[in-house]
Amino acid sequence: MRRDRPLAFLAFWTVSSLITLVPIYWMFVVSAKSRVQLFGSPNFLITSFFTENYINTLKDPAFQRYMINSIVVASANALLVTTLALFATYALSRYRLGGKENVFFWTITNRMAPPAVFLLPLFLLYTQVFVLGDFKLFDTRIGLILLYCVFNLPFAIWTLRSVIDGIPKELDEAAYVDGATTWQVLTKVILPLAKPGLAVTGILTWVFAWNEYLFAATLTSVHARTVTTGLAEFVTVTGTNWGQMAATAMLTLVPALLVLGLVQRHIVAGLTFGAVKE
Amino acid sequence: MRSSTVGWLFLAPTLVILFIFGVLPFLYVLVIGFTQWNSFAADPTMQYNGVENFRRLVFDEQFLYSLWLTLKFGFFAVTSQILLGYFLAQLFMRDFPGKGFFRTIHTLPLVIAPIAVGATWRLMLVPGLGPIPYYLRQWFGYDLNISRYVDQAFLATVVMDVWHWTPLVTLTMLAALASLPKEPFEQAQIDGANRFQIFWHVTLPLLKPAILATVFIRLMDALRTVDEVWMLTGGGPGAATRYIGLHIWRVVFPKTDYGYGSSMSLITLYLTIVMCWLLYAGLVARRDLKRVD
Amino acid sequence: MADLNDLPAEPRRGFLPIHTNTFDRCFIAVVLFVAIHLFWMRFLEASLSLTVATVLSVIVGAIVIARG
Repeated sequence: MRRDRPLAFLAFWTVSSLITLVPIYWMFVVSAKSRVQLFGSPNFLITSFFTENYINTLKDPAFQRYMINSIVVASANALLVTTLALFATYALSRYRLGGKENVFFWTITNRMAPPAVFLLPLFLLYTQVFVLGDFKLFDTRIGLILLYCVFNLPFAIWTLRSVIDGIPKELDEAAYVDGATTWQVLTKVILPLAKPGLAVTGILTWVFAWNEYLFAATLTSVHARTVTTGLAEFVTVTGTNWGQMAATAMLTLVPALLVLGLVQRHIVAGLTFGAVKE
Repeated sequence: MRSSTVGWLFLAPTLVILFIFGVLPFLYVLVIGFTQWNSFAADPTMQYNGVENFRRLVFDEQFLYSLWLTLKFGFFAVTSQILLGYFLAQLFMRDFPGKGFFRTIHTLPLVIAPIAVGATWRLMLVPGLGPIPYYLRQWFGYDLNISRYVDQAFLATVVMDVWHWTPLVTLTMLAALASLPKEPFEQAQIDGANRFQIFWHVTLPLLKPAILATVFIRLMDALRTVDEVWMLTGGGPGAATRYIGLHIWRVVFPKTDYGYGSSMSLITLYLTIVMCWLLYAGLVARRDLKRVD
Repeated sequence: MADLNDLPAEPRRGFLPIHTNTFDRCFIAVVLFVAIHLFWMRFLEASLSLTVATVLSVIVGAIVIARG
């Protein structure tokens, strides 16, 4: 490793980091100012923190419902996806299944398809086909939870694949010799060893589900709306109440910021289906 | 290896969910695409009408225009991301103080919800509030108004996408650069190659698989962009940033013309698959992928 | 994709510029089928019926599958 001109580097990276950070910081500034303070020339300094934007947002019953929906949908989806992906990768790793590579490849195609293409059929399926008596999948949390599996499961399977493959098969065999059942092997041997990988997968699926907008906006109307749809509504409904829109957006951002600290190293591997390892 | 029945049982829930919510909608759209089904029409039931929808589609100027726009957007966004990302990755290869810290900051945009990215850039660019139009006017007398000028709106969506996704390219390139073997570079230096020659004849060929994989992933994602653009420009001014996803979602979907909308979705999917496959098969030389296992 | 390739589908080199197996060639045939029809509808249907396009693309498809 060469170490040359550290000052030039420092200056360059500071500027480049500022470009990354300023838009987010500006949003924070807007969220911390009243409507009157936002008039005139842009001021990047926050002299007095105007809390009303946040208080109004948090007090709004609609926003509270959106928040709860988002948390429920994202958490249930993450749990479901991680569990199913653990089963699936265990099966793909330990059993001789015909067409295994096809299964892997097929899952990834589910993730690559443009979501807008599936809006129409899914909307029709949710409103007219998947109907049991009075119950429709449309505008329910369970509908979103199951749907998000389509893009989160492939991701989880591709991430967990290397984790499960990395656990030596001899451990399974030893447990079987001791008389363990398949279920016991999975829960007592594999699960503890795969825990870190499962945690990373779970957290990232949670974020993807939290961030999703298009399906949430199309397949819900009142009861199951999520935070992202709430944020989009601000543009159309309240017009130019920028402060409150910024506050809502900041609240949508919080989980992402927490996650960044937790699983920073794994984000890229996750977003590229393990094609790139750091 | 144990009995494969148990294996399939473990795999079953995954396959069932992916089938119901992934494959079934596809088959459904395939059927509807060949029918006339409009709940506002004189006859609101579903009726087979052959390729009539597609016949209408190939002359639909709005649709073709948004396809063209989407390709243009994908091309400009991905090209700038690759160039910029490679440049940043090269700089990250050096050793300098605070490297880990700067890297964390550059990962930040990747985890932000696209819809929030759109909100962020709207706040930056909206006239009368955003600092960018304000300072451009103050310092250069330049009039930036993305809700009025077509080219500026397009450029704004590209800049936003570059801001959002260049970090991904940087980090993938960085991983690829870090895993390159040392020998070819030393050999090239012994042979007296200059910097450009080393880049062209050694680095680039070695990086080719990584670059193509990144282009592949980024292009597919760029072509499906909806949320950010909807939040930033709403597809406007006019139809200047109405990319194909937005077009289907905002223009075709509310008309409840299910048959026509489905055929449009099908053609979009068809084009995506063809592009996907061209990149995958044509560029990532076939023999490299064969016999992986 | 090993299992699919081990069937009758050894990758080979035809007139197409890449190595292909049977599945790839069927895929290319379908893609061409759709593309020919779409372009036909846009530019040629006024003078020639779409049936001609169907016949033409079936022939092209057959050639690709057999020789590609």
